[in-house]
Amino acid sequence: LISAVLDSDGLSPPGKPRLTSCRSPEKETFTCWWEPGSDGGLPTNYSLFYRKENSDTVYECPDYHTAGRNSCFFSKNDTSIWVNYNITVVATNALGSNFSDPVDVDVVYIVQPHTPENLTVVLEDEDNPFLVVRWEPPRMADTRSGWITLIYQLRVKLEKEEEWEEHFAGQQKQFNIFSLHSGEVYMVQVRCKPDHGFWSEWSATTYVKVPDYISRERSIWIL
Amino acid sequence: CAHGHTGCHSPTLSDLFDRVIQHSARMHGLSSDLHSDFEQYFLPSRNQIGRINRKCHTAYILTPNGKENAQRLAREELTEVILKLLAAWRDPLSQFHRSMARHEDFTSISGNKALEMSDMVHQLKNGVEKVAEKMQLLGMISNSLMSLSSTEALAPHSASSEARSMSDYELLYCFRRDSNKVQNYLKILKCRIVAEHGC
Repeated sequence: LISAVLDSDGLSPPGKPRLTSCRSPEKETFTCWWEPGSDGGLPTNYSLFYRKENSDTVYECPDYHTAGRNSCFFSKNDTSIWVNYNITVVATNALGSNFSDPVDVDVVYIVQPHTPENLTVVLEDEDNPFLVVRWEPPRMADTRSGWITLIYQLRVKLEKEEEWEEHFAGQQKQFNIFSLHSGEVYMVQVRCKPDHGFWSEWSATTYVKVPDYISRERSIWIL
Repeated sequence: CAHGHTGCHSPTLSDLFDRVIQHSARMHGLSSDLHSDFEQYFLPSRNQIGRINRKCHTAYILTPNGKENAQRLAREELTEVILKLLAAWRDPLSQFHRSMARHEDFTSISGNKALEMSDMVHQLKNGVEKVAEKMQLLGMISNSLMSLSSTEALAPHSASSEARSMSDYELLYCFRRDSNKVQNYLKILKCRIVAEHGC
């Protein structure tokens, strides 16, 4: 018991670390992150171990550096899909060790792509304007080979309003928005998701100003 | 649709691919839904989830487990892997459906997803065979595949008996994975063969 080994200086074995998430940006590599527990007042070392489905061999994390602190990066060579990885983090200090709860992941189901890129919004047809929104898939995701398929969602908001309006674009990389408010500024963002995985973050906002086309029409009417 | 009729086109290879890909996506969607229904209904204790201690009955089929491996396979080999996987699921899925029908209250929640899945794997195998024939006709793959299209050659008896000893949950778990493989391999194959139609 931890209390039994408490040192007189208040030093103790490390607390239980927690595996917080494992994500793959492109279905070819993945990263797992953990949160350390208490260090027990001593220098504490963290190691990640994993075992692949139907194998008894236990491997240690191949790369603790690439993805930053408290993480383990699995390169292409260390990543298989349609295979479960049983993953555990072990915290160790001079007084003992503590294990995280193990986590099972199949890379197919933990894909969270990067945000779509090169979002552009173009105003077409000055007299009866509509917006043409275009974007590209995140560079890392190999959509061209068919290895990963992404679907897209965009959201649009009048700069002065609070509520976003969401539109589902399916696999298309273009979306038109009609019935614009005259003389207003619109904000547009886009995000993507593989068929069985997680939405990316929303992209940075692209702004577009719609000309004052209704009052122009009216003035023509009055004439 | 007889030949020579106006306005009557036989579907292009790209169309055929789109159909089987859509079909495989529906099938995988169905298996994922049923898998999560199953976890909620039969395995209230979340701890048991994901603990599959045995190999799937399709483990004897060597399947590429990454992008580069999948791309390295010849078109014929990739087509063969897809057909083998589908053939290996025919009997186990009808067994699974019969077994599901016994759980009346579960069936009322999940409708006839098990029956639908079992029908779909049939249709999909026929569909992929059509695609393979068309690819052969167009000279995109060699004819060596044809000799393998008999189901017996594709699914050995030992695998079927192994499938019979698996629990419903294990079957569903394995099918969810295999149907995802089929969908992914079909997409790779399509992009290699009809790349100009945009992937």
